[in-house]
Amino acid sequence: MLKEDFVIQSNIRRLLVSYNIDRNKIDIGTIRGVVYVRGFFKLTYNTPESEGEKLQGFTLKTLTTFEKRIRSLPGVSDIIFQLVDWKKEKKEWVRVEAKEEKEGDREGKGDSTL
Amino acid sequence: MKEKGILLYKRILGEIEKKIQIHPNYVDLHNQLALLYMMEGDRERAEKNLVEALRLNPKYREAILNLGYLYAELKRWKEAEDIFVSESKKHPQDGFLHHVLSILYFQNGKRKEAGLRIRKAIQCDPYYRDYYKKMGVSQKGIVYLDQKTERVLKKVLLNYHHANFHSFIGIYLAKEGKPIQALKELKKAEKLEPNKSLFHANLGTIYYHQGSYQKAIQEYQKALRIDSHYGMGYANLSYIYGLKGRTREALRYMKKAVRLNPRYADFRYSLALLYSDRKRYKEAISELKKALRINPKYLFPRINLGVLYEEQERWREARREYRKILQISPGDEHIRRRLEGIS
Repeated sequence: MLKEDFVIQSNIRRLLVSYNIDRNKIDIGTIRGVVYVRGFFKLTYNTPESEGEKLQGFTLKTLTTFEKRIRSLPGVSDIIFQLVDWKKEKKEWVRVEAKEEKEGDREGKGDSTL
Repeated sequence: MKEKGILLYKRILGEIEKKIQIHPNYVDLHNQLALLYMMEGDRERAEKNLVEALRLNPKYREAILNLGYLYAELKRWKEAEDIFVSESKKHPQDGFLHHVLSILYFQNGKRKEAGLRIRKAIQCDPYYRDYYKKMGVSQKGIVYLDQKTERVLKKVLLNYHHANFHSFIGIYLAKEGKPIQALKELKKAEKLEPNKSLFHANLGTIYYHQGSYQKAIQEYQKALRIDSHYGMGYANLSYIYGLKGRTREALRYMKKAVRLNPRYADFRYSLALLYSDRKRYKEAISELKKALRINPKYLFPRINLGVLYEEQERWREARREYRKILQISPGDEHIRRRLEGIS
């Protein structure tokens, strides 16, 4: 079984990109096949605020799929989620109200890169 | 712009106008809105938004350049000149800035200064040397300042604005999860301004989104040929090779990324993983320590450091790291169990 942490880490980065998960708000670490996920789980979609509820449902689906995809990666033995805005209750993800720390857009750090 | 393009443009404009009402202090939104208004020909509103963006963050470079471009379009030469002269002092090796200044001087009848700027652009950037030669502006070291040159210079400036517009639309679509449409827009941007490293990098990222790794590698390499100091480009190449399981290449590129961005803790962490995977523990530990010196609150390097110490039976150091992790993250049962195991 593949056990290289950097390969796992690269695969998770790819998942972050393909699921449009905001990489500025989440940190990923890997140690001997154990994956750590910390921070805020947000999507990067350009969605008007009025569609907030729809977005929350979609975020939940994405989080569930994201977890499954990480577990299925070769070499991953466990995942430790330390999310600020989501927690697991009876094996189900539940949204938690949390204030965001990072507000990069406000400073205008440039929106010309992906 | 074709009808389909206009509809897309109107939709995005409407969405950003809505967002800016909710977040009036978001600088990026003002810059984006200005770009869209400029494309529509509404220069007054464009200026208002750029001025507001720069009031909120006077160092926001994209807005500075867009405002300079807008002043040039409005034939407010002095204001445009001030902006680009100031930027070229900050970035003396940026060929594009010299190129823009050559246009401004040319328009103002300052032919000598225009010629000097063209020569500087040629010196700084081989792209302009080849481009001017191809367009007949410069031959064997002589710069021709005639009407034809004026047309060529103006076209490059117009391309700059259109390219930025398509790039912005491409990024917007990519963030909406529409990579195919995004790709079309980004390709338009790249065609208009093939010398912009950022456009190739964004194309690389879209290909990476799509899983077209070979194309992604090619685009990142193009971006790096234009801007060899683009550390993120090397890091992205490293991650792609990591995905392909080719960790030797991944290590080579990540080392370059770290060399260019020595203060970027995330790159150091990635480099440490690569060393650790190759059982080069001494180098891995050194990189993890450096990552922690940059950002003492960055938890993952500390976890990896603790585990590496534990594996090397350096119990005291492992315990120290685990205790520090539990101070930051008291609910971490994985680390608590590891600490109990060696206590």
